Amino acid sequence: MEALLELNLVTKVYGAGRTEVRAVDGVDLRVDPGEIVLIMGPSGSGKTTLLSMAGLLLSPTDGDVVLGGRRINGHSGSELAALRLRQIGFVFQAYNLLGALTARENVEVVMNMAGRKGTAARRRAEELLGTLGLAHRLDHKPADLSGGEKQRVAIARALANDAPLILADEPTGNLDSKTGREVMDLLCGKLRCEQGRGIVIVSHDHRLVEIADRVMWLEDGKLSQRDKAAPLNA
Amino acid sequence: MLKLAIRNLLHDRGRFLISASGIALAIVLILVMRGIFAGSEEHAVAYVRNQPAALWLMQSGVENMHMSTSILAPQTVELAAQVEGVDAVVGLLYAGGAVDLAGQPAYSYIFAVDADAPFGGPWELAEGRRALEFDEVIVDADLAARYGLGLGDTVRIFETDLRIAGLSRGTFGIATSITFVNKQQLAQWMGVPPEAASYILIRPEAGYLVGDLAERLKQAIPDANLLTQEEFIQSDKQMIRQMGADIIRAMNLVAYTVGMLVIGLTIYTATLERAREFAVLKAIGATSGRLLGVVFAQAFVSTLLGGLLGAALAWVLGQVIGGVLPEMLVLLEPDYLLAQIPVVLAVTGLAALIPTGRILRLDPMTVFRE
Repeated sequence: MEALLELNLVTKVYGAGRTEVRAVDGVDLRVDPGEIVLIMGPSGSGKTTLLSMAGLLLSPTDGDVVLGGRRINGHSGSELAALRLRQIGFVFQAYNLLGALTARENVEVVMNMAGRKGTAARRRAEELLGTLGLAHRLDHKPADLSGGEKQRVAIARALANDAPLILADEPTGNLDSKTGREVMDLLCGKLRCEQGRGIVIVSHDHRLVEIADRVMWLEDGKLSQRDKAAPLNA
Repeated sequence: MLKLAIRNLLHDRGRFLISASGIALAIVLILVMRGIFAGSEEHAVAYVRNQPAALWLMQSGVENMHMSTSILAPQTVELAAQVEGVDAVVGLLYAGGAVDLAGQPAYSYIFAVDADAPFGGPWELAEGRRALEFDEVIVDADLAARYGLGLGDTVRIFETDLRIAGLSRGTFGIATSITFVNKQQLAQWMGVPPEAASYILIRPEAGYLVGDLAERLKQAIPDANLLTQEEFIQSDKQMIRQMGADIIRAMNLVAYTVGMLVIGLTIYTATLERAREFAVLKAIGATSGRLLGVVFAQAFVSTLLGGLLGAALAWVLGQVIGGVLPEMLVLLEPDYLLAQIPVVLAVTGLAALIPTGRILRLDPMTVFRE
């Protein structure tokens, strides 16, 4: 089976000489379809840098990123943008919805960018939001939505272009426990089980261990696999 | 992306209104300044335009009425009258001078024709009569009203007291007014015989082509210059335009600079405020070109609204100014308005360039920060 994402000995170094910081140091990671990989670690351990390289937002200093079997090397900015648009769905802690657009339009906008427009995009957005329990909030702007609703809109946006890989940065970080649980159920059920996507979650939230297939620990730029049952604060 | 641009603009209606108002203000400034200038041009040629004379004869080498001196001998007037196809000729004397109204001097174009001339006098009379005695004058009704003067009151021209016998309309401009006096009086001031003329106004007989008559007149009077009414008007307008062109250019430069800064600053501010959203779009797959498209679309939508608002406001302002100050005609010319469109679009494009550097430098990784 072809991996959705492979990171091969990926390293990211910031600065040089005495100010050099190895944020990520020789990391290997493979994500298969239908798999949820949870990456945990202390603040400043390099989680965001790792997620940014996985999401093609940052180039590694060394090592390879392979997305859907394609080695990412020497691609132009617009080629990387096209890959992000179609191959990767992003879910952020701060939701990052566009404030001027309604819930439906926030989902439509990524489809429009990918060339799906008009009624087709509108129907798909309504269908996705309906599936996520937001059929009654289609025309509401982010300011009028609760945190959980905003995150569900963000998830719908991440799914809109049928991206096989979802990268989630602290998806439950801003949510209360009940809403956090709902989002976990969505990530586990709707995204993985029903649609077979691969999901990489970066989080401090220990509850997410329940839904993860694998738990990885990142500290000082080094990634290691952890037993799901083992305590994670060490 | 156009939808996003419009939504972004409408999301912050206050700023959108400020942006559009700034552009509207610049457009108003440009159009009204040009309108006032065009209005003054029109006032300056009002006399020529309102006379039923298709052809105008003047001293050789003269092509204008303004800033020119033309004198034709009495025989030339008689000669012109004898040319086949001429219905009527009027010998017009013309001079520029100050009219003293209740102690306040006002520069005026002073015209005089014979009392029995079929035309050449005021084209619209509010009160009084056209035929003037030696010591009588016709002044503009609005000008006279401004100084509390009416029929029977006295004005002073070239050290001579003249009684107001008529009040004309459409003869009061921002730079000058038009005054009519007795021809003997003006001839005396100018030191020429009363039968002489500065210009000869010629009306062709019905059915005669102006071009044919012009040829005959040129043959009959080769040592004078002959212009059609429209040529004479355009010649005067051209001269006035040249005199004011630098001022208009400077005003337009100021207005366009103000407009460009307003557009640039508002779009820049809007871009800064939405930097995170642009970074999100970049992260989820929008190319830089697409993001720049949003910025440019915002700028052009603001300009479109501001431009329409500005044109409407300029028209309203023109009406108000014309109502309050009758001497100030604000003439909004459609041709000039259309000619501004590419300039405004270019200015908008330049203004929208201001925030593009910021967009291109956006770090999409900021989306991971809370």
